[in-house]
Amino acid sequence: MAELRIVDFGRVSALRSQTLWHALAYGVSAGGPPTLSFMRPSRPYVGLGYHRHMEEADLAACADAGLPVFRRMVGGGVVYLDEHQQFFQICLPIAAVPRSREAALRRLLEPAVAAFRAVGVPADLDADGEIVVGEAKICGHGAAQIDDAVVVVGNLIERFDHNTAARILALPEDVRGEVIRLMERYVLATPADPAAFRAAAIDAYAEALGLEPVPGALSPYEGERLSELDDRFRSPDWLRGPLRPAPQRSQVKIRAGVYVDWSVERAGRAS
Amino acid sequence: MSEIIEVAGFGVALDRAYDGAGHFWISTVGPARARIGMDALGVETSGTIAQLAFLPVGEHLKRGDAFGSLEAAKFVGPLTSPLSGTVTATNDAVVADPALVERDPYGAGWLIELDLADPGELSNLVAGSQPIRVWFEAEVEDYRMQGVLAE
Repeated sequence: MAELRIVDFGRVSALRSQTLWHALAYGVSAGGPPTLSFMRPSRPYVGLGYHRHMEEADLAACADAGLPVFRRMVGGGVVYLDEHQQFFQICLPIAAVPRSREAALRRLLEPAVAAFRAVGVPADLDADGEIVVGEAKICGHGAAQIDDAVVVVGNLIERFDHNTAARILALPEDVRGEVIRLMERYVLATPADPAAFRAAAIDAYAEALGLEPVPGALSPYEGERLSELDDRFRSPDWLRGPLRPAPQRSQVKIRAGVYVDWSVERAGRAS
Repeated sequence: MSEIIEVAGFGVALDRAYDGAGHFWISTVGPARARIGMDALGVETSGTIAQLAFLPVGEHLKRGDAFGSLEAAKFVGPLTSPLSGTVTATNDAVVADPALVERDPYGAGWLIELDLADPGELSNLVAGSQPIRVWFEAEVEDYRMQGVLAE
């Protein structure tokens, strides 16, 4: 049976909680084995989805709170990340995942749902592709093709600071309260045992992919890529992101299907 | 206006060529200039497109390089150029409104234009009414066999 490399990095710096798994993706793209990895940031920070404008984060508020900001290569929005979140990443060669992005994402999130269930969290993968309990999202996920690898990332949220998560967003002050109210309703922490969650995720991904879990570490090539990524992710050019016009819409996404849209002075669930 | 015919349940324009691997269409708009867009199967299997970004005008590309990126359902992937050349135009309308690619993939939803570095690469594309139909049907069948398209 082929190998599923398991790499548990434990507690790492905010920067490394992003660059380590990007380095693994480059390694998998270059012929490394499918890899399931885990880590937890040692301090809070703000993550930007690949296509997001820097200005969608309240950079002054981030600076005041001492929160570094890093752009990731997966999608999604401006998110608050901290030490109460156990990150996981599954990375496979692109040839091993369905050609449809949507199908690939569902296939690689289903084992995570199984892991949540194994630790007592009644999770489901909903029609929007969110891992949920009831109507609330419980896992912040994202995905990317990085060269010839596909990586899907997510987290076990043990505690969630809704106030800080709203404070780091660039919003008119008069809508921030509504954002917090909807976050409290639609973004839920599920304080399961992280060690049990990691063990369950290893079992679930190994079974779903038909692979044998084997403890591993960064390869020398991945170590080289890690150094390059550390520099790239700290550079102003990378932080600025891809060339895009200024956003026209004035809204923030709480979870799939739930937005606060202040341009039309409405808030709530869009169907 | 292009004639769109239905092949295996998807609209396909026969007045242009297709990249067999990436589900992009290529239409020549001058002796050595091509417009590139995404075909209906590429659109369907991307999911709802949330974000698009393109390299700036003037960038040089080799065939297989990314000319931009696409995000759907928080999944970011490269848009891989089927041809080598220099970016001469990008479609700001689809950057502002990515749903335009889904509404009109063969028209207003085009992505970029290139000045071709090697027009001979056009011979690598799938072109002609019958080859396009055969290729497209086989692609749809392949996706259906993978279980990623409804029957």
